[in-house]
Amino acid sequence: MTQPTDTPIDRLSFDDALGELQRAVADLETGGLPLERSIALYERGVALHERCASLLSEAELKVQQLVTRAGGAIAAIDVRPDEAVDAE
Amino acid sequence: MAAATSGAPGPRILAVTEATRVVAALVRADDRLRDLWVEGEVGRVTISTAGHAYFAIKDDKSQLQCVWFRDDRLRSAFQPQTGLRVVVHGRMDLYEPQGALQFYIVSLQPSGVGDLAIQFEERKARLAAEGLFDAARKRPLPSRPPVIAVITSPTGAVWKDICQVIGRRWPLAGVLLVACKVQGEGSAQSIEGAFRRLERHVEELRHDGRGAAAPSVTILARGGGSMEDLWSFNDERVVRAIVGHPLPVVSGIGHEVDVTLADFAADVRAPTPSAAAELVVPNRADFAASLGRGAERMRSATGRVVADAARNVGSERRLLDRLHPAARLAASRERASDLLDRATRATRARIGDGRRAEERTAERLPAVVAQRLADGVTQLAAAGAALRSLGPQATLERGYAIVRRTADGAVVRDPADAGPGTALAVRVARGEFPAVGVVGPVAGSIGPTGAGGAG
Repeated sequence: MTQPTDTPIDRLSFDDALGELQRAVADLETGGLPLERSIALYERGVALHERCASLLSEAELKVQQLVTRAGGAIAAIDVRPDEAVDAE
Repeated sequence: MAAATSGAPGPRILAVTEATRVVAALVRADDRLRDLWVEGEVGRVTISTAGHAYFAIKDDKSQLQCVWFRDDRLRSAFQPQTGLRVVVHGRMDLYEPQGALQFYIVSLQPSGVGDLAIQFEERKARLAAEGLFDAARKRPLPSRPPVIAVITSPTGAVWKDICQVIGRRWPLAGVLLVACKVQGEGSAQSIEGAFRRLERHVEELRHDGRGAAAPSVTILARGGGSMEDLWSFNDERVVRAIVGHPLPVVSGIGHEVDVTLADFAADVRAPTPSAAAELVVPNRADFAASLGRGAERMRSATGRVVADAARNVGSERRLLDRLHPAARLAASRERASDLLDRATRATRARIGDGRRAEERTAERLPAVVAQRLADGVTQLAAAGAALRSLGPQATLERGYAIVRRTADGAVVRDPADAGPGTALAVRVARGEFPAVGVVGPVAGSIGPTGAGGAG
């Protein structure tokens, strides 16, 4: 049984929000919850759904390139797609 | 026609057969025509009932009739196709019954790939025998990879196309370019090196406890080109790098018709680089629709709880009504009037006290009841508002319908659930009407979109 967590919804990652939403749906479908608890869970579920939907619509692709630094260390650095260099 | 003159006076008249024999003899005497290769584009192909293939090969100025006899043709891995550029090997000869000059084909290969095609087939057979292309080796792709590694050249359109497709479909993901040469001298080694660097990077992230930031799938991509251009993707080192790579690999090399050994080695072969990008991530529109279906399930589950609670509130109210102080007061009054006949003032006063006490209770209790009811109503209203925001009404208003089987109330999602004679209830925005399934299940969707149809 899931307890609605205290984590503010707008701080949840997509995966965390989605996971909690899936658990909320499962708990509600299992049934047997008191009214107040069902409604609280449902309202959090709606907010989680909105969080997932807004993250999906607002997300921006993160683009990186793997580069080999002097000395041989490998690092991923942020680039723009049209800025990527041909270096190996 | 030197052979046609024999020194006799006047022109010598030849039979048709004689004339064609002269031509045939000339053609057969020429070494250049006895064993030659000719390149051209295949015209319309006719296969006779005997299994021989007849077609012309042509360039922009001329064409040459070809015949390829059944036995030679059936031994070949390649078959003539209209429009295909080919190299044919054989001899020229005259087909005397028709006086037609023909090319008699011994073998045929797609143009420009003769030697490479043979190498390709040999290598493919050898690596397949080693089990490198076995279906059992193929790994499933992660459903929502947080990071996608892309091994390709950053200079072409391919890298930008991949970023664009993933950015459009699933921008929650990250892409990590591992640049390499995809053509020419040293490119096979460069591709192999990219796999190695990526593997080191993933290992380091996992070692540092940042495995969640590591790619979980790798795309190997290159734009279209000739077989020679794509040749490094048939290199054995590249094949082995793919097979040994710890992440599942999706190949997107060249165009749909281009097949490389890297494609055979990959866990999934996509026809093009863009298709590879589409394969590795879900589409956010589809995903949002499935999220909506999850919210709908949550809504109906909550709806049941709220409906149960509403029934409970109702029965509680009826219970409270029976216990209402006014009812009890009426009973008291009756008793009081009985007593009045023989009661003293003191008794009456006591009854009066009791009445006042009960009246005070009566004033308080309805307030408590009203408050409880009001709470219930507020909660129901709040839930109702939330439900409406996700509920089917808005969808119904757009013209969708919910079809249920009358017998068990099940929502019909599959035509198979509503076979002929099935009694149905169709709910639309303004109400419900009955219907009956009249035809057997049919394939296909009748909704304006796949998402958000029956709810």
